Amino acid sequence: MEIRPILSALLRNKTGPILVAMQVALSLAILANALHIVNERREVAARPSGLSDEAATFYFSVRNLNQDTPDQMLATIKRELEVLRAVPGVASVAQVSQMPMSQSGGTTSIAADNRQQRESGYAATYFTGDSMVKTLGLKLVEGRDFHPQDIPEVNEQTNAEVPTLVIVTKPLADKLWPGAPAVGKTMYFGTGSSATGAQVIGVVEDLISAHAEIGETGIFSLIMPARQYGNGGAMYAIRSEPGQRDRVMQEAEQALRKSSATPMILRIKTVEDDRKDRYRADTALSWMLVTVSALLLLITCSGIVGMATLWVNQRRKQIGVRRALGARKLDILRYFIVENVMITSAGVVGGVLLGVGLNALLVSRLEMARLPLVYLVAGAIVFWAIGILSAYGPAWRAASISPALATRST
Amino acid sequence: MFAYYFKLGLRNLRRNPALTALMVLILAVGVAASVSTLAILHVMSGDPIPGKSDRLFVPFIDNGQPDGYVLGAEPVDMQMAYPDAMNLLRKHPAERATAMFGTGMSIEPPRSDIPAFQAYGLAPTRAFFAMFDVPFLHGQPWTADDEARGANVVILNRTVAEKLFGDANPVGQRLIMNREPFTVVGVLGDWNPMPRYYKLIGSGPATGEEFMIPMATAVRKELTPYGSVNCSQVRDPGYASLLASECTWIQFWFETRSAFERAELQSFLENYAGEQRKLGRLKRNAPIELYDVMAWMEVRKVVGNDTKLSAWLAFGFLILCLVNTVGLLLAKFSARAPEVGIRRALGASRREIFQQFLIETGVIGLAGGLLGLLLAFGALALIGMQSRSMAAMARMDWEMLGLTFAISLCAALVAGLLPTWRACQVTPAIQLKSQ
Repeated sequence: MEIRPILSALLRNKTGPILVAMQVALSLAILANALHIVNERREVAARPSGLSDEAATFYFSVRNLNQDTPDQMLATIKRELEVLRAVPGVASVAQVSQMPMSQSGGTTSIAADNRQQRESGYAATYFTGDSMVKTLGLKLVEGRDFHPQDIPEVNEQTNAEVPTLVIVTKPLADKLWPGAPAVGKTMYFGTGSSATGAQVIGVVEDLISAHAEIGETGIFSLIMPARQYGNGGAMYAIRSEPGQRDRVMQEAEQALRKSSATPMILRIKTVEDDRKDRYRADTALSWMLVTVSALLLLITCSGIVGMATLWVNQRRKQIGVRRALGARKLDILRYFIVENVMITSAGVVGGVLLGVGLNALLVSRLEMARLPLVYLVAGAIVFWAIGILSAYGPAWRAASISPALATRST
Repeated sequence: MFAYYFKLGLRNLRRNPALTALMVLILAVGVAASVSTLAILHVMSGDPIPGKSDRLFVPFIDNGQPDGYVLGAEPVDMQMAYPDAMNLLRKHPAERATAMFGTGMSIEPPRSDIPAFQAYGLAPTRAFFAMFDVPFLHGQPWTADDEARGANVVILNRTVAEKLFGDANPVGQRLIMNREPFTVVGVLGDWNPMPRYYKLIGSGPATGEEFMIPMATAVRKELTPYGSVNCSQVRDPGYASLLASECTWIQFWFETRSAFERAELQSFLENYAGEQRKLGRLKRNAPIELYDVMAWMEVRKVVGNDTKLSAWLAFGFLILCLVNTVGLLLAKFSARAPEVGIRRALGASRREIFQQFLIETGVIGLAGGLLGLLLAFGALALIGMQSRSMAAMARMDWEMLGLTFAISLCAALVAGLLPTWRACQVTPAIQLKSQ
């Protein structure tokens, strides 16, 4: 393996090899970072919402145009729930105050002890007048769901009652009371002497918040019992039997509209659509990064092939002379492949350094995450493979040059 | 000679069509990626109201709880509470001031064929329209008298007005909103500042608010604020207590006569905060902040990290395409060594060879720019699929069009410098010998 002659030949004609090495370095640096971000976003978008059957769950935001008194509004809500439950194919209905991934909802600060200096975090506040756990199909891992008698009727315009019972999500329980069962403990809505507390009666495994924030806040949720009325409208979450969502949606809408003497404003959304909307930007960025990565590979490939072809053409005579002096086809092939591996290696080393540097820049300026080494290693292997494969074609053509034709000087 | 070299360049493009096509394509792809991300960055970070952006200010008065307060920590919410908004509207040294919040109302159209629907709107004070140079298609802002009385008047946006009243001028017509009759006093013209800088927190629909009513009217009707309401303390239920509480849900703007009056406004606000602290209302010793339009967009991170990432990525990609182009140009020009040799032997100076090849590179740059422009339109369309607000921003204007050709030309010329210089170094004698 004649490394030294190859090296000295390369060093005498540096421009081409440097260009190829630069391309490999740039591509590797960008590719490693891009694929890392794609993977991260994919993980974020794949986070479980906690619902047992997202494809079968949807919700109505209902508002009628009457000038009802609060008591009339309460009666309307109860009537509408009856109507919805009677629709064939409906598995469960619950009145809720907000829906996961809907990008519309409230949060509160939470603490394990109200004497704390700072709150322990923020959690999404879900209120339900029925069984949100049953309707959304949430998984209870500790304790119990609310009984009907636990759920007070709360006139939002006049009633200042704070909830005394609460169901929390497992990540929240683990943060506030690590290692201990959460059922029976008291959780405070904020810090300070005026912060009220509520007793934890159950823990669900997952319930993502309405805004599905990245990090803790997205997976901290509270479910509190209250049949809220008085603000002129209500939100109902409905889970249909599996696979029947669209038909049930239509029939439920018709049933609701028929049940009301006055026209009503009805907004319908499915949890599937909410998920798509929430993660649309992340998905789009991922696609863009994947497209750019594919283009990067193609361009670098074409660069290597082009450069290799050019050298073969420039060194026809030398190849011819070598063959005439007794070199086999395999020797010529090996020469070019070794030469290409050396250039690609230089590029890979540069790429790894550049990739780490680029990642440091992204972390400091754009709040991205650190790049795990595995991406750079995988990228290096990919580019070595590309280097060898791309050089193979031109190297084989070089080896096939007939010595007699090549040494002819015309 | 320029025209001759230009023609030569065009003709030489056809010489090695595969190589040329590859070069033009790669350059075009790099240019398209850069220009499309730049266009979005340009729209997002551009000055939405040049000429006034240094005279419009958002004040931030921190009325949060003292417990757990760390100086310099990011505030939970940067909106204003109702008491502060009313105090500042009553007495301020600036030329104009406005407060606003987003809300929703049901609209029952006068035509029976359109069902009732829920509309999203804004409840500002009347100075809003003058401060933000809002164009009117019909009518004008409500009068000061309407505002004082909290009258049932409404200004519709163009889309809703056309949906409900067709092409006719609806000023003076009645509209049932939240079951009460409202009088239309105006219709907004096309007003799509990108981004909607006047209300960055809890922003409304991407296509703009559908109606505007006086803030006094919205408060009188106890309309729920849409968007973001942040209460750091427990408060009593009911609208009256919302108005009296320290919950923040209102967005406020000042307009001064000139940028120089900023200091005066700042010291006024600091005095005001001092007074409020003595009254026991403001419990934190937080500094008063004043943001002009560009600073406000910066603080609210209008240009998100993802957009910046896309722009950086696109430029890295362009550099890769550039390096690739250098290689391809080297290959292309090295094949022309005999031609150069003959020209030099016939008396052409190095400078003239340089000119010839540089112009040829320029031709490739222009071809790349043309193709890149087409690809950029495609890329913008793809990016627009992200979300409705992104679709509104993913547009190309004349500046960007010019920039496409500028980038493509510069990139090609930079890439062409090394190969062109190499081409000039050809020694005529050797080339002629091997002929």
